[in-house]
Amino acid sequence: MWTSIGVSSVAVLRRVGCDVEFDKRQTCCAQPAFNTGYLDEARLVARRFIDIFEESKADAIVSPSGSCTAMVHHYPQLFAGDSKWLPRAQAIAAKTHELSAFLVRVLKKEDVGASWNGRLTWHDACHGLRDLNIKSEPRALIRNVRGAEFVELEHADSCCGFGGTFSVKYPEISVAILDQKIEAIERAGVQAVVSGDASCLMQIGGRLSRKGSTVRVMHLAELLNESSQQ
Amino acid sequence: MNHLSSETFKENARAALADVQLRGALKNATSLFGDRRKAAAASLPNWEDLRSQARAIKDDVLLHLDRYLEEFVRNAESRGATVHWARDAAEANSIICGLATERAARIVVKSKSMTTEETHLNDALEAAGMQVVETDLGEYIIQLAHEPPSHIIAPAIHKTRQQIGALFTAELGMRPTDNVDQMTSTARMKLRDRFAAADVGISGVNFAIAETGTIVIVENEGNIRLTTSLPRLHIAVMGIEKVIPRFNDLDVFLKLLPRSGTGQRLTTYQSFITGTKRASTDEGPDELHIVLLDNGRSRMLAHPVTRQSLACIRCGACLNACPVYQQVGGHAYGSVYPGPIGAVITPQLMGIQKAAQLPYASSLCGACREVCPVKIDIPRLLLHLRGEISPRKGSATERLAFKMWARVMTSPSLYRLSSVAGRILQRVMPISRAWTNGRDLRPIESKSFHDLYE
Amino acid sequence: MSNSARESILDSIRTHLAASPPADDPPVTPANPVIPSKSDPVNRFKESVESVSGKCIITTDAADVLKQILTDLNAQRIAYSDNAPNAHDIFSYDVGISTAQAAIAETGTLVLDSDCERHRLVSLVPPVHIAIVNASSIVETLSDALTRLQKKEISPAITFITGPSRTADIELTLAIGVHGPQELYVIVDGSK
Repeated sequence: MWTSIGVSSVAVLRRVGCDVEFDKRQTCCAQPAFNTGYLDEARLVARRFIDIFEESKADAIVSPSGSCTAMVHHYPQLFAGDSKWLPRAQAIAAKTHELSAFLVRVLKKEDVGASWNGRLTWHDACHGLRDLNIKSEPRALIRNVRGAEFVELEHADSCCGFGGTFSVKYPEISVAILDQKIEAIERAGVQAVVSGDASCLMQIGGRLSRKGSTVRVMHLAELLNESSQQ
Repeated sequence: MNHLSSETFKENARAALADVQLRGALKNATSLFGDRRKAAAASLPNWEDLRSQARAIKDDVLLHLDRYLEEFVRNAESRGATVHWARDAAEANSIICGLATERAARIVVKSKSMTTEETHLNDALEAAGMQVVETDLGEYIIQLAHEPPSHIIAPAIHKTRQQIGALFTAELGMRPTDNVDQMTSTARMKLRDRFAAADVGISGVNFAIAETGTIVIVENEGNIRLTTSLPRLHIAVMGIEKVIPRFNDLDVFLKLLPRSGTGQRLTTYQSFITGTKRASTDEGPDELHIVLLDNGRSRMLAHPVTRQSLACIRCGACLNACPVYQQVGGHAYGSVYPGPIGAVITPQLMGIQKAAQLPYASSLCGACREVCPVKIDIPRLLLHLRGEISPRKGSATERLAFKMWARVMTSPSLYRLSSVAGRILQRVMPISRAWTNGRDLRPIESKSFHDLYE
Repeated sequence: MSNSARESILDSIRTHLAASPPADDPPVTPANPVIPSKSDPVNRFKESVESVSGKCIITTDAADVLKQILTDLNAQRIAYSDNAPNAHDIFSYDVGISTAQAAIAETGTLVLDSDCERHRLVSLVPPVHIAIVNASSIVETLSDALTRLQKKEISPAITFITGPSRTADIELTLAIGVHGPQELYVIVDGSK
């Protein structure tokens, strides 16, 4: 749905020396069904994910989404008690990483050679922050973007209000929560908000554009793919 | 009393969002509570260890709840307490009303007890002809206002001082003021003579110690001490999950509860009550009756995920941390127990059909799990409940939508087609309208990453 | 009948526990780290009492300090725990005086034991409470106090008091002096 995130992620990983492949047969991590309580349907889709990624001989599965990564880490819970699928689920979960965590913790790279001029801030997406403990990694990566002036967002770790189907089941509450985030962004006086989850960016970006704001939203991968040529 | 229903959570929330005064009060209160909790937790270097220890103690208790309850009862009874068992709310109310009427009680003073709100005890006592006076200041305020509590710790958090001042002027004849000290003095004065005249004092219980038969009750105001030492009869009401094994376990819980609830190292008073007085000339009530309430709690023991619901020590930290609660407040949940913990125990206590919306009223952000002193994994509980509700009770459209979604997601050809269909559907689906009422919708791109990848 | 309710509830507990699948996380029992004590407990106690709006005086002449406080307060009706007025009369007293059997330095808490003293109303009803505690009875931590209380059979009523009574129920604004005392004086008797 947001192609430049995929394009940027692949580009950044290649730039730091990884051999990247993308299996076009992949579809979804099953999070929407899992989070809405449709576990049978979630398992159908999760099995496909496991099947496809098992075939690859890759050392790691990297995702530019904290929530998708967290979902894959929940696969063992989804297949608890299933002697056939549980070990497979555990194996896949063990090698699935979120992009910033992979760059900083696994590849030990905090500088990917990016540059972008302007004032920006970071929104901590909930699954990345609380399920995967991702907090210092994106900040380290951003601080190394040449030309970027980073300001810490007030209540950076507060939810943006998306929550998957919550955003459409309870849209008024979702937007009320979102507006706290928008107010903090406006107070920060930045040109861009960066985050590690496309869903948060859609939520925040959707409200910013509705309010006629010039603040843009960027995925971390897109930021890291920026260079002075652009 | 003006009780909203859990079944209309969505409408309740909508009304709450339109209440500017409420939202202002909530914002101030939850951020203040949250900041204080954070500072109090940070001041203890072993905070994380304490949380793990507390959870381990609770897990042990719940796995052996029958044994610990029997030990508690044995020890309490050996010290002169009378213990009653109540299977449900009606039975609890019946026992308590019976005790009061047998002693020809007319005036009952109560200190804050969520369990007695759960059973609607006050209505039952009043129907039996008794005058019931809530003595906790927050509860006194909402009693005068005929409203239910909106927060586990600070029941009147939704009211501004101006509203409370006006209420006191109207109901108590207080000279008009919005000075908090003056309002507090007014309440103190009015309640003094109720304490003195009361025949029965009813309290809750924070912790019941199996090893010694002691009940422990914590507070800041002093009304619990008055309620439990002046009247001749003290009735203590507790959920069966309140028991902890040993007196020394209090060290862990008394460190966690006040800090999590209000950011204090300790609340002003802790009362440790073990049975009845030794001599009739000693201070204190002549009788202590303890009512153990099940009301659906034992059912929650049947699965490890739901069992952890019973570890809750009713600190309220999850409410303050929750982005949904922060926006809509407690009344919208239509339950005595609001917020994240309320969203998981209300359906379990009251029945899923009565509170089916609540488990979905969450963005699953996990802030509650982060602040819970006993590490209850509320998001996991919410997902567990959604897993129970959706396949059976989800709307037919939704169930079908997810079945179709699974079909598409497991078929590469259907998946490729879906982005085409999605672009069209995006414009017409009701889901889109729910989104676009407040936000612009980013259109699905005509070329997907799948198409572009090389 | 209560007995059938008892059996029914215990049975429900046992049945539901028996039906439960095992928990997937093994229980964690982390070690209890001993946090080293800091400075002199008596001074720490005084600081802690003052941090919760109590007043604390360390002295070797407790009787004199007490007299001084009562004079300053212009106290008329004074209730002593060893000769406590009854539950009706106590409401008309200005000051309640008791001792404390122990105190906790880390929190500024007084420990009162009904087996030792008639403290319950005297330390609660009058608007001022004055407590006298021996310096040697001050322990470092909450845990120390709990251990101490178990040296004999637990009394029917033990009360921990940390500062004067308070509430924050109105707009989270702190108000001192609600149902319990509005002022708390603690006299630490260093002579014993």
